[in-house]
Amino acid sequence: MATSIDKPMPQAEANIWLSECQAILQGAVGGFLFGIPLLYTVEVWSIGAATDPRWLLAVLAATLIGVGLLTQVEGFRQTLSLHPLEALLESIEAVAIGVVCATLALVLLRRITLATPLAEVLGKVVFEAVPFALGVALARSTLQGKRGRNVRAETSSEPEADPTANRRTTAPLSRRLSSPNRGNLGDALVDFDAALIGAVLIAFSIAPTEEVPLLAASLPPLWLLLIMAASLGLSYAVVFASGFTDRAERRQRGLLFSPITETLVAYLVALLTSLAMLVLFQQLNPSDPWSEWLSNILVLGLPASIGGAAGRILI
Amino acid sequence: MDLPTPSDRSQPADTSKRFTQRSAAEWVTFIVASLILLGLVGLILFDWQTNQTQPPAFAVTVSEAVRVTDGRYYVPFAITNTGGRIARMVQVTGELNIEGADDETGEQQIDFLSGHETKAGSFVFTHNPQGGDLVVRVASYRLP
Repeated sequence: MATSIDKPMPQAEANIWLSECQAILQGAVGGFLFGIPLLYTVEVWSIGAATDPRWLLAVLAATLIGVGLLTQVEGFRQTLSLHPLEALLESIEAVAIGVVCATLALVLLRRITLATPLAEVLGKVVFEAVPFALGVALARSTLQGKRGRNVRAETSSEPEADPTANRRTTAPLSRRLSSPNRGNLGDALVDFDAALIGAVLIAFSIAPTEEVPLLAASLPPLWLLLIMAASLGLSYAVVFASGFTDRAERRQRGLLFSPITETLVAYLVALLTSLAMLVLFQQLNPSDPWSEWLSNILVLGLPASIGGAAGRILI
Repeated sequence: MDLPTPSDRSQPADTSKRFTQRSAAEWVTFIVASLILLGLVGLILFDWQTNQTQPPAFAVTVSEAVRVTDGRYYVPFAITNTGGRIARMVQVTGELNIEGADDETGEQQIDFLSGHETKAGSFVFTHNPQGGDLVVRVASYRLP
């Protein structure tokens, strides 16, 4: 980014490592956003499990070429111009981040367990890594919507403009005229609206598929806690830790909700959205046991919460 | 949250110098990333060498621990693909022959069974399998 809201930090030694971690986290978040829909596809698991190792190498090479082409114009780091060789190094890093994220996601959904044979693990990881790696390479451009727009708004109007001025709101005056708390409440509602839209966008295409009950049925009961933790962690990482969103603006609005509260409430929004979608598609019936309702909602809640987090920073 | 912004490395500098500006942290990332990818490629090659030459073969074990619930007999079984390649649509049949009663059969289709993978299930009979002759075998499978 050419301009940053925060004051530029001195280039301290620790800062290099922190910003590198942040870049990797940004890439991982982009990967999850792109990879989640294909992660919930039973065909990809079975194709991966049945593929010849030579073909897997070809898929890996194709991914590297595709990511390499993307890295010429995009990337998960903030660097704007690259040496061609540096682009190659960054695309290797992007594919590796994609492979790690895909593996973690497959373990989380128990598509890979200790009992899974090596050939099947490799096939699943290589095929699922394709969308994850592409997502990593596209991380910078996909997840920078709001900040990018704010920069444009600030250069066109006076510099002291409200950072939220370019967002549509149904109550334009409430923010300035009423007490600060009510203005914050309005902002929070806009945020949760955005979470709802994002959750529906990502999870709507997953809700009617048979993968949701299939995955839910294969999870041991305590594993659901891990799914919840992963949903909350990813949602937190997308919005707060990865630094995509405008922190100065968040600080202004952070009076009502702390980041952790906001993450929790957004997760509840994602779960309610999942419930609504599953009922809408008649995936859940009143005659089903409550444990099935719970596991299905939590399994769909993972993509919904990632979508919701992306929605909150993009909309 | 007060994490610093990712350092802006887009300051004007001539491109020949830029390449050396890769920070130590970025080199660490690159080394770890290369190791991960090389490890993955190595595992794929290892799998190719060891597994892909062996066609599927099956071993079926029937457990002695028969469970009785509501007058039905649940006979657990486990099937292992002892070969290297994956088999699809593996059909396992269980036949129970008891003198003086009709034969009972159970059928089970397993969608995917990778090399060295074990999957388990149960046959359900209305007669006690210990009082008769139980044969569990793999009837057929498909290559992917």
